[in-house]
Amino acid sequence: MIEKPSHIPARLGFLAGTAADPFLREELLQGIRGHQGVDLAKVVDPLPEEDPRWRVDPIRDLVDDAMHEFAGNRTQADAWLAPRLHASLRMTRREAADRRLWNHIALAVAPDYVVWRHLPNKSEPRTAPERFRGPLDRQCFSRLWWAAEIFRDGNDYSPVVTAFGNQDLVHTVLRSTWIDHRPSAQAVVRLLEAGVVSTGREINGLSVAINAAGATLLYDALAPDVPRDPEPLRQWIEDATTAPPVSRRHLPDGPDEEPVPKESVATLVGHFTDFFETAPVRGRDTEGRV
Amino acid sequence: MKIYPYKRLNRPIALRVTSVSLRLPDGTRDPLDISAFSTQQQTVALGVAGDAWVSARIGLSATLPPGSTAADAPWSDVRVLAVLSDGETNVRTSARLRQSAPESKDWIGDIDVLRDDHVGRASLEVYAVATVDDVAGRSIAETDTPWVVDAMANEPLRGLALDIQQVDFRKSSREWLRPYADAPWIVDASGRVPTVYVNSAVEGLAELLGSRSGGIENKVHELLVTQMATDVWTAVFHSAVGDLEIEPDGSPVFPTDWQGEVLREMLPYVVPDVHVEEALRTVHRRRTGDAGWVELQTRIHFAAIRRAEVTKSLAGILRGLVQMNQGTES
Repeated sequence: MIEKPSHIPARLGFLAGTAADPFLREELLQGIRGHQGVDLAKVVDPLPEEDPRWRVDPIRDLVDDAMHEFAGNRTQADAWLAPRLHASLRMTRREAADRRLWNHIALAVAPDYVVWRHLPNKSEPRTAPERFRGPLDRQCFSRLWWAAEIFRDGNDYSPVVTAFGNQDLVHTVLRSTWIDHRPSAQAVVRLLEAGVVSTGREINGLSVAINAAGATLLYDALAPDVPRDPEPLRQWIEDATTAPPVSRRHLPDGPDEEPVPKESVATLVGHFTDFFETAPVRGRDTEGRV
Repeated sequence: MKIYPYKRLNRPIALRVTSVSLRLPDGTRDPLDISAFSTQQQTVALGVAGDAWVSARIGLSATLPPGSTAADAPWSDVRVLAVLSDGETNVRTSARLRQSAPESKDWIGDIDVLRDDHVGRASLEVYAVATVDDVAGRSIAETDTPWVVDAMANEPLRGLALDIQQVDFRKSSREWLRPYADAPWIVDASGRVPTVYVNSAVEGLAELLGSRSGGIENKVHELLVTQMATDVWTAVFHSAVGDLEIEPDGSPVFPTDWQGEVLREMLPYVVPDVHVEEALRTVHRRRTGDAGWVELQTRIHFAAIRRAEVTKSLAGILRGLVQMNQGTES
């Protein structure tokens, strides 16, 4: 494991993928030695000064607490950190789609966390570079933020915690396009909660089945969502100026957006259960028994 | 061609954008004129008003193919939905359209696009769904080419634009450019859109690229730009195939952002005569497998040349040179 950088920036910035590359050294990926952070600061593009959202402290504190709390089981840190990172780093999807911001967090703010969380438990371990600088659903911090964004139900983060209760779900499903439909995301969490699916294979099978049926069925028509309203999120972001640090014990509240219509979730739970029961899942016989 | 296990309309839905208006932070609405969208390019450009808008309302008119309302149609409960999706921000929203008159093929309505929800391009499609053979929500027709809704662009152009930035590599605040101080330009394919950094420290280069004087300078300028573009498309292709998401069964997932756009355009030249999905699988196999990746490089280069229209600009400069020589001889 590596130490945290001796120089941690006070504010978040943009670190372009190309600029980040020279810092992804083997000794960092293998968890042997980190960097000091001084050289890295020179290649970072700053974010607007006046915006209080880009302060590094709240994020660094969360990461430290997560490493302390989950020293015995680091995968469980995801379910704890995802909603808290999302509620601390209040952003629009437009802002959160910028990979340079996530590169900066991973390399300048908390490289020690990336290695702590993602260094495999095996001989000659090496952290996958995509955990530092990679697709949004793979990078160490963006995957947490985006999973929280996609699985939250309005201001309620509890579905996010359920979703992270199963690593396979987040891993498999986040990159699927059908998950972008909010009622579909909530329906899958219900299926997990109800124990309809639990193993990685089952989740894969379910995802494939939802995708296949989606070629002819339009889930948006079967399970309508409410129209998006930009105001609650804008307000929530504005409130970041005065918001206290997120609670370590209780789940924070997200932006006060309208929850997904319950009828729509129920409709899809029915459909998805049917698909799953008739889907071919490896390791399960044709009667649907595991 | 896809095979459906039920009856459908056998032609696509025709979609037109009829109006675009912006909602401003003070709550007022600002209608955009028709230059904000292009039917020919099937593109809407919302960037004309800069940053100062909260949401845009796009007026739509969709025409279903004949047969949707036939009395003997094998379906009931026809509904028409516009669906806006954005692979970069994982946004998916939909809006129901209403039939303009009973028995009409025309359905009208509007869909809202939130500025906070998009970085670049979203895709807009229309689906007609109905209950067929007792199954509700089945798609019976859809648009064949989606419209592009670009939240940033000032002009409704469908093609993907490059970002070209002129910087002095030796003095730039981007320190990572300094090791490249000798290069006239470099390509960065790691960003949201591919960027060419042109080194203004190379004397005369910026002037040449800025020249609109006509004559041979103009032709050289054009050739240089196509050369850069070739570099860009090659780099972009490699970064796109290097970044592919892989399904559990080992097959690659088509990217939903601009990398996907680039792949769709270039793959037919890289692996001709097969469907793009199959072409992508071939490229991925060759790149990750033991053999065939080296052999593919020529084709990737060829695709980049096609994409950058090198042949055209080279012909231009050759013609220019011939004319110049004829001018000096006479």
